[in-house]
Amino acid sequence: MEGRGIATVVLGTHEFRPLALAEAKAKGLPDLGIVTVPHPIGGIAEALVARKALTAVDDVLAALTRGPAAGDGAGGTDGAATRHRAPEDLLEFQSFMMERGWGDGLPLIPATAERVAAMLTGTRRPPGDLVAVLPPRLGRATVLQVAVNAVLAGALPEHLPVILAAVEAVGQPAFNLQAVQTTTHPCSPLIIVNGPIAARLGINGGGNALGQGHRANAVIGRALRLVLQNTGGARPGREDRATQGHPGKYSYCVAENEAASPWEPLSVDRGFPRATGTVTVCASEAPHNINDHGSATAEGILTTVAGTAATVGSNNIYLGGEPLVMLGPEHAATVAGDGWSKADFKRALWERARVPLSRFDPSNLDRFAVIHPAGFKDRPPETLVPIAREWSDIMVVVAGGAGKHSVLIPTFGATRSVTQRIEQ
Amino acid sequence: MHAMEILDPVGTASTTRRALAPRPASLRDTVIGVLDNSKPNARALLEGVARALAERLGARDVRVWRKPGASIGAGVAVLDEIAAHCGAVLTASAD
Repeated sequence: MEGRGIATVVLGTHEFRPLALAEAKAKGLPDLGIVTVPHPIGGIAEALVARKALTAVDDVLAALTRGPAAGDGAGGTDGAATRHRAPEDLLEFQSFMMERGWGDGLPLIPATAERVAAMLTGTRRPPGDLVAVLPPRLGRATVLQVAVNAVLAGALPEHLPVILAAVEAVGQPAFNLQAVQTTTHPCSPLIIVNGPIAARLGINGGGNALGQGHRANAVIGRALRLVLQNTGGARPGREDRATQGHPGKYSYCVAENEAASPWEPLSVDRGFPRATGTVTVCASEAPHNINDHGSATAEGILTTVAGTAATVGSNNIYLGGEPLVMLGPEHAATVAGDGWSKADFKRALWERARVPLSRFDPSNLDRFAVIHPAGFKDRPPETLVPIAREWSDIMVVVAGGAGKHSVLIPTFGATRSVTQRIEQ
Repeated sequence: MHAMEILDPVGTASTTRRALAPRPASLRDTVIGVLDNSKPNARALLEGVARALAERLGARDVRVWRKPGASIGAGVAVLDEIAAHCGAVLTASAD
């Protein structure tokens, strides 16, 4: 609005002031009027909100009348990375990095010029190439900048093309990275790797696929997180406003278990040949167990998955987006054994995984009705609300090892997954 | 301290500093716009402030627009419409 010549004031709560300041700065308006009141605003009585409003009036008036500073037109430019002098002692180095907000809490590998140069041998792309501009800071994720963070994460040069593809993917408009980076919702980009490159790099899609113990999974996911935090400027507790977050924010990378899947892999669903290496990023919650040791039919597995997926407190149910079902190979084999295609399973799940409107608290329905009128506006209480807007929005991949478990991974909602070819 | 040289993990940003709009000399007889970010109670807060301001400054009216969702930006058409009608605007960020 300021760009349209209209004096504007942004209101928020004290808790979210750092985020509002960062967004104003990224938009080139560091002097934007921001007025905050005590947290919270949501979930309290309207009379209390009205009292908080009155406390803000004087500050808002001041912001609307205070003369603006002249813009200086200065902007950032790409160049060689700035260098810092850091302690050589590895333990002191960790403290040095954490004090500057550049770490995730786990030990980091010092990104010396030699290590970064070695990392850059993993790609043919020139160091100055811009891979993505990352909100909320609008940080310029050049190949060089990504390589620096990849070194910090402990990645090897052969991992760099996968990391670059993931950074490029989260930078696509459909991913809505601004919201993903700053939301209170517990989400992080899950990287799903498809194609022969997964086995070549040792990216695990078998037993304990989402767990620890595989270097490629650990460092690729971690490198993306460090890029998002450092270059993207989503610092935990500041611009990254996650209420709790989840452990996948340290690292969240998995391969699809294509060898054990009865269906075409996700990359083929998205139009790529099987031999092409791809990453798919989706803004994902932590995995939630779907235990079914008894079912021997597709219908039985469907009942258990649907019963686990249809819940009230989910972002997907009112915001839309693409909930992800990660079927274990044994569950997938049971479903496919009854002649069901992946699309059959998605359609059946969409029909079955629904929540009656009567199970929602009425105080949430007014807002849901604005965001998703077809599901919530003026509907009778017996209305059944599906877990995604369309059956085809449900994502299904096969991953994991032996055992009768699948996992449900709900997503942020106001985001679409993005699949990107890995350029060797 | 034995020191080593490391490369900066943050890098540059694509920001260009822009000037704020000129502050209005008076809001008398203008419309104060509210852009609700559709977070719970945001409208109550924004409208509460806007109405108190309107009364104090002699503004003609308070008009409310609503974003389709907190994590979705307002459309260009909506922003143009607000600019065409209002002397000043209040909006909200986050929860």
